[in-house]
Amino acid sequence: MIPLVMGASAKTILHVDLDAFFAAVEQRDRPELRGRPVVVGGGGPHDRGVVSAASYEARRFGVRSAMPLRTAAALCPDAVFLPVDGSKYLSVSREVMAILRRYTPQIEPISIDEAFLDVTGSIALFGDGERIGREIKAAIGDELALTASVGVATTKLVAKIASELRKPDGLVVVPPGDEAAFLAPLPISRLWGVGGQTAAALSEYGVATIGDLARLAPDLLVRRFGKHGAALVDRARGIDGDAVSGEAAAKSVGHEHTFDVDTSDTEMIERTLLAMAEGVAGRLRAAGLRAATVSVKIRDSQFRTLTRQRTLNEPTDMTEPIWQAALELARPEVRGMRVRLLGVTASNFGEPGQMGLFGGVDLRRRRAVEAADRLRRRYGDRAVIRARLLGTGLPAPFERDPTTAPERRVGRPDPEATANPLERRATKGGTNQVDGAPNDA
Amino acid sequence: MKLSVMQENLARGLAVVSRAVSTRSTLPVLANVLLRTEDAGLKLTATNLEIGITVWVPGKIDVDGSTTVPAKLLSDIVSSLGGSERVELEVQAPDTLLLRAGRFTAHLRGIDADEFPAIPTAGERPTTRISQKVLRRALSETAFAAASDEARPILTGVLVHFEGDRVTLAAADNYRIAVKTIPVLDAVEDTRLVIPARSLTELVRILGDTDDPVDVVLAPARNQVLFHLEGIDLVSRLIDGQFPNYQQVLPESHTTRAVLEREELLKALRPAAFIASNAANIVKLQIGGNGEAEVTVSANAEIGDYEGGVEAALEGDGTTIAFNARYLSDVLQYVDAEQFALELNGPLSPGVFKPVGDDQYVHVVMPVRTTS
Repeated sequence: MIPLVMGASAKTILHVDLDAFFAAVEQRDRPELRGRPVVVGGGGPHDRGVVSAASYEARRFGVRSAMPLRTAAALCPDAVFLPVDGSKYLSVSREVMAILRRYTPQIEPISIDEAFLDVTGSIALFGDGERIGREIKAAIGDELALTASVGVATTKLVAKIASELRKPDGLVVVPPGDEAAFLAPLPISRLWGVGGQTAAALSEYGVATIGDLARLAPDLLVRRFGKHGAALVDRARGIDGDAVSGEAAAKSVGHEHTFDVDTSDTEMIERTLLAMAEGVAGRLRAAGLRAATVSVKIRDSQFRTLTRQRTLNEPTDMTEPIWQAALELARPEVRGMRVRLLGVTASNFGEPGQMGLFGGVDLRRRRAVEAADRLRRRYGDRAVIRARLLGTGLPAPFERDPTTAPERRVGRPDPEATANPLERRATKGGTNQVDGAPNDA
Repeated sequence: MKLSVMQENLARGLAVVSRAVSTRSTLPVLANVLLRTEDAGLKLTATNLEIGITVWVPGKIDVDGSTTVPAKLLSDIVSSLGGSERVELEVQAPDTLLLRAGRFTAHLRGIDADEFPAIPTAGERPTTRISQKVLRRALSETAFAAASDEARPILTGVLVHFEGDRVTLAAADNYRIAVKTIPVLDAVEDTRLVIPARSLTELVRILGDTDDPVDVVLAPARNQVLFHLEGIDLVSRLIDGQFPNYQQVLPESHTTRAVLEREELLKALRPAAFIASNAANIVKLQIGGNGEAEVTVSANAEIGDYEGGVEAALEGDGTTIAFNARYLSDVLQYVDAEQFALELNGPLSPGVFKPVGDDQYVHVVMPVRTTS
C-alpha cells in the first residue's frame, strides 16, 4: 500500500458529534432537568430496554449508552428516566445538519447526532478547519442551545477520534503530519475495526496503544489477520483514504453475514437471507426509502465471490419482496456450493410517492410491520423476531440505530476483512466495529 | 377415429384453441390439443386449467374416436399445408395420429384422450346474453387495469357484477381502477364473479365486432363461467375471494374539471414519458393556474426536462397533480373517446378520467406524492 502523501493536497475533515444528544435535548426543553442526571431510553427505569443516552450528570454514576435500563436505575436511582422521543430528536437533528450544510455541501451524516464534513473547498470562504469548527460549535450553541464536540483532521478516522477525545464541548485539531503522533498514545480500542476480539489478539503482541500497533511490522499483522491486518497498520498510522461521501451517495442499503462454518444447508442459507432481507427492509423504512433493485452477494469456501441482481416491479421497503428476490437470485447459484458469505443489498431508490387505491391486506401488513418497528426501537432489535429466525443465532437483523442514515459502507472498508476469523466472530455477534457500537447520544 | 376436414377450417380452429394451451405445465397432456369427433364434426379442445377453449370444425366423419397430440406441432404442420386442401386425420394404435394431405403424410405421437381433463361445454341454457360488440369494447376498456403480478391474486381478475339488466365490470391493480357498466339482454339476479383478466383478454380475441350476442353461462357452484359463440366455447375458472369495495374509492365530487382532446393529451404526454422514464416515470399535470385555458404536462429528470401544453376547457380551481406516465397513457390508449374529462380534488386525491359522451365508464388513477 502506498502511503498517502500529506501536505498541500491534504483534506480538511471535521467530525461533529453532539454531546449526550437525546438527554441534552430533553434538558434543553425542560429546564427543571438541567444539572440532574437524565437517562433516555425505552419506557422507564423498570423497562427491559436499554439506555439510548445518558446526560453527563448520569455518566458520573457510571451510566452508559446501551446499558440495560435496570442497571442504570441501580447505578443512579435518582436519575430522571425518559422515553425516547424519536421524532423530536430527528427534527432537532435536521436543524443541526442544516447548520453544518452552511459550511459545505460535502456532508456525510453517519447517525442522528454526528456527521463528517469535508471542508477542504470551504477554507477560502470560511477560514481553516479550526475556525469552521468553532463557528459550528457557536452556531449550535446559540441557535439550538446544544453543545457539540468537533474533531478536525486530514482523515475521517483521525477526525472522529479527535472529536471523542475531549467530550463534552470539545474542539481537537490534529494538524497535517501530526496524525501518527496524535494517535500513538491512545488505547488501541479507539481505532476503527478493533473490537474486543481483535484487541485481545493484539495484546498477544504486546499492543496496548495505537502507537504500539503502528510500530508492528505490517507483514506480521497480514500473516495474523490477512488483509485486514494491513488496513489496521495503516489506520494506526493515521492513514485513511476514505472520502466524505455526500448525502446523495447513500445509494444502497445492505447487510452481509459470514458463516462460522461454511454451509451448504439450504434451510440455513434461506434463513440467513431472510434475516438480512428483514434488516435491509427495516433500514429502508427507517430512512423513508424504497428500493427497486435487490442484489445478493455470495462467496464460496474458495473465496470466489459473485453478485446477482434483479429489479423489482415496484420499489419496496418490505421484507417479503426483498427476500423473495434474494432467494430467486441465490438458489440457482448456491446449489452444491459451500457458502462462506452471503450479502443482501437494496438499491435504486424509487420515489416513494405512488399512492395506493385500496389499503387491504397490504395496509394491514404494513401496520403490523410498523408496529414491530416501533417495538424494536423501544425495546431493542430482538423484541420482535420472525418465527423462522427464532433461536437460530443469526445476526440481529437490525443492528443500528434505526434513525441512522442509510448505509453507505456496504462492502467497506475492506471486503476481505472477513478473511480474518476473529472478525468473523465479531460479525456474528452483531456488532459492526466500523460503525462503532451505539454511540454516545 | 377417422375423418377429413378442410385445411383452412382446421388451421383456424387450432389457432383459436392454441391460446389456451399450457406452455409450461407439469402435466404433459396440457401441451396437447384434444381431438374428438362429435355431432358429425371435429371438436378441438385445449386448456391450461385456468381457461379452456373448444372449437367445432365441420368435417366428414368416417369413424368416431379421440386422441391428443402436441398442439404446437399440429398447428405448425397444418398451417404449413396449402389452403383449400382436404386434410385426413386418423388415429392409429396406440395414440398415433396419421395426418395426410395430398401427397404429404405425417405421424404425430400423442397421449391417450382419457388423460385430458374434462372441459365443460355449453349444454345448458345460457344465464344471459350480451352483445358481442358491446362486451368486447367493455372488456378492452377495463381488463388492462387488472394487476399483472400475483401479490394480490384477486386483483388479477375482473369483477363481473350482474344486477338485473346490467353488468358492471371493474378491474384494478391498487393504483388505478377501470369501471364500465353495460346492458345484458336477459335479466340476471344479483351475482358477483371475479374472472381472471387473462381469460377475458382471450375472450376479447374471440368476440366479433357484431351485435350478435354471446351466451354467458354462470356456474359459480362449479367455480366456472362459460361463454358460447357460434362454434366456439370458452370456459374460465373463477378467482376466489372478495374483490375490494371499489365503489368507495370512486370520488363523488371534484373541485377541478378539465376537458381535453384525447389525441392532444397523448401527443403532449409521449415526450414527457421519455423524460419520465429516467425519473420513476412521474409526469406532472398543471391544470390552469396561469389564467390560461390549458393543461401543462411536464417531466423532470436529471437528464433533462420537458413541458407541453394542451388546450382544455376548465372548470373550478387550478391545481397540479403527478401520475405514473404509464397509467395515463394506458387509459388514453385503451379507452376509445374523442375527448376526456379529467376530474380532480387537489394533488393528493384520486384523478378521475371520464370519456366524454360515455357516462357508463370511469377510470380512477391514484396520484404520486412528489416532494416539490
